[in-house]
Amino acid sequence: MSLARIVREKVSRRFLPEGGITHLPCGRFGTDATAWGILVYRAAGGEQEILEKHCARLIREQDKGGRLCVDKEHPDSYWPTAIAILAWQDSQRSDDARQKAVQFLLKATGVHSPRLANDPSGHDTSLKGWPWVAGTHSWIEPTALAVIALKATGHLQHDRVREGIRMMLDRQLPHGGWNYGNSVVFGRELRPMPESTGAALTGLAGQVEVEVVARSLDYLQGEVSGLRTPVSLGWALLGLAAWDMWPSNGFKLVERCLTNQSRYGEYDTSSFCLLLLGALAGDFKTMANGFSFSDINPSTTHIR
Amino acid sequence: MARQGTTSNSGITRRELLLVGAVGAAIGTGLLAMPKRYFRMPQHASTFVTKVDHYQLDIAGSIKRGIQELGVSSKELKGKRILLKPNLVETASGAPHINTHPLVLRGAIEAFLSLGAATVAVAEGPGHRRDSLAVYEESGMADVLTEDHIQFHDINYMTGYELPNAGRQSSLRTLTFPELFKEMDWIVSVAKMKTHHIAGATLSMKNLFGVMPGIYYGWPKNVLHHAGIENSILDINATLKPDFAIVDGIMGMEGDGPIMGDPKKAGVLVMGRNFPAVDATCCRIMGIDPYQVSYLERADNWLGPISEKAIEQRGETIASVRTNFNLIETIPAHKGLRLA
Repeated sequence: MSLARIVREKVSRRFLPEGGITHLPCGRFGTDATAWGILVYRAAGGEQEILEKHCARLIREQDKGGRLCVDKEHPDSYWPTAIAILAWQDSQRSDDARQKAVQFLLKATGVHSPRLANDPSGHDTSLKGWPWVAGTHSWIEPTALAVIALKATGHLQHDRVREGIRMMLDRQLPHGGWNYGNSVVFGRELRPMPESTGAALTGLAGQVEVEVVARSLDYLQGEVSGLRTPVSLGWALLGLAAWDMWPSNGFKLVERCLTNQSRYGEYDTSSFCLLLLGALAGDFKTMANGFSFSDINPSTTHIR
Repeated sequence: MARQGTTSNSGITRRELLLVGAVGAAIGTGLLAMPKRYFRMPQHASTFVTKVDHYQLDIAGSIKRGIQELGVSSKELKGKRILLKPNLVETASGAPHINTHPLVLRGAIEAFLSLGAATVAVAEGPGHRRDSLAVYEESGMADVLTEDHIQFHDINYMTGYELPNAGRQSSLRTLTFPELFKEMDWIVSVAKMKTHHIAGATLSMKNLFGVMPGIYYGWPKNVLHHAGIENSILDINATLKPDFAIVDGIMGMEGDGPIMGDPKKAGVLVMGRNFPAVDATCCRIMGIDPYQVSYLERADNWLGPISEKAIEQRGETIASVRTNFNLIETIPAHKGLRLA
């Protein structure tokens, strides 16, 4: 059975009959889970018609201002908005919702301040990216997701996207890689993290020369074989695929990670789908499944 | 003969009255400027300190003895559902001192179960890494808990329930805790003894940042930073009202904590029911003046006592285990922390 078919089967088990995808195999509806699920199901060749019900569920979750939140009781937690934009990409019925979400994202910024001489943080605190939660600073993964989503919807040249790219580059660690978004604090360089590095590399692909991120690619290539958990491995595979460096042992790594579920139980849908997207990135590349993942047009649904 | 000043009915001149008023105002202003703790009723608490030289020793026995010495009876624990909240932040090779050691957690599990607890669960929401499972696995916690058949709950992705902010130190009107906590009888902070470059020290109270789900508070938990780290520590503790604290000081962290510091062996476990008292005791063991740690000074005689006189010390004396943790002069939060 092809990887794509396995992905479709596994993800569809988490579909809710009324639309939407569950956070856990038998759990409640999850906004981000639904968005990630739509993305990977479509990337695995799933029919758009099947996905419309789930896209519609996301539309029902959208507020008037265009944002999608973790739940309606927490409107400040709007970080799923960028993933929803990607999920709606191939759904004509979601055009209005997607446009509203894009407009929301273009206006939403984190909290920023001029760079001060005595600031303990080493990064430029004035550069605007996107936060996880309203009223807080910009961090790497939400900024990478917003840049990916806005690039995919044709806003590559928008000032916010350009600044988001500068913000990510500014937070790159001196010795390579990214963490959640603090590079140097009180003069000490902090440690990189594979999931943040993978997300940033995915967001920056095609926008900067490889030399600019070479040390981060080196870091991630050195780490990837040791990764055993879905969020880290998923983002790492996506980040490397975006730079045509998907590892030759990628499928074995994915298999090992999936086997780990016997120890931890089934993964939550968002993590699971992120891992499967990372796997498909290699599948498309090596199986010549009609296109190369790294050549995906930004205007299509796929993460790039 | 007419008197120069206007005399009140009590025979005091207006000038005297103004003088008294001015003195009163001065005292009043002075009183207002005094820390709130001077106006609070003194509180008392007990803490327990035990020497544990390394992680291969009988930690369960030490924790069990501490729980009993602190007056927690088996009757009180019988049938209770205990939630242990370790300190898992991030991992790095050669830096196990960032996180609560897995064997301390195993010791706590064994101790609570042997004292009659119905269940023990472990939950954490790491503040830096989105991949909680990676921290859980790389820290060695997964090996230990899997072997012990204890479930780990990733708080960062849990649906939350709101409580009104009982601390009211920050502008946050409510705090969102994980639904799982509704099913628990006791919340136990199993913290690490570390210096902290913003808060001064991170111990049982600061460890509770990890109970706030990342899906609502971010990675890092930046909502709490913007609300003020000290404010948020106090708010979380005042609202959650945790039940018991265990601090892993067998190998702590000094210098640029909570993640970039150096290992520092203190060789102790510190326990107690009252969190400010436990943290104040830890500070003294670390050679830190708890009155210089802002959130502890503010918690004094509100959430608990931090005065040495108000804390009944059981087990080892502070003097017998004190070992000064290195502080960094260039870090503002470390200035003036050293205990005389």
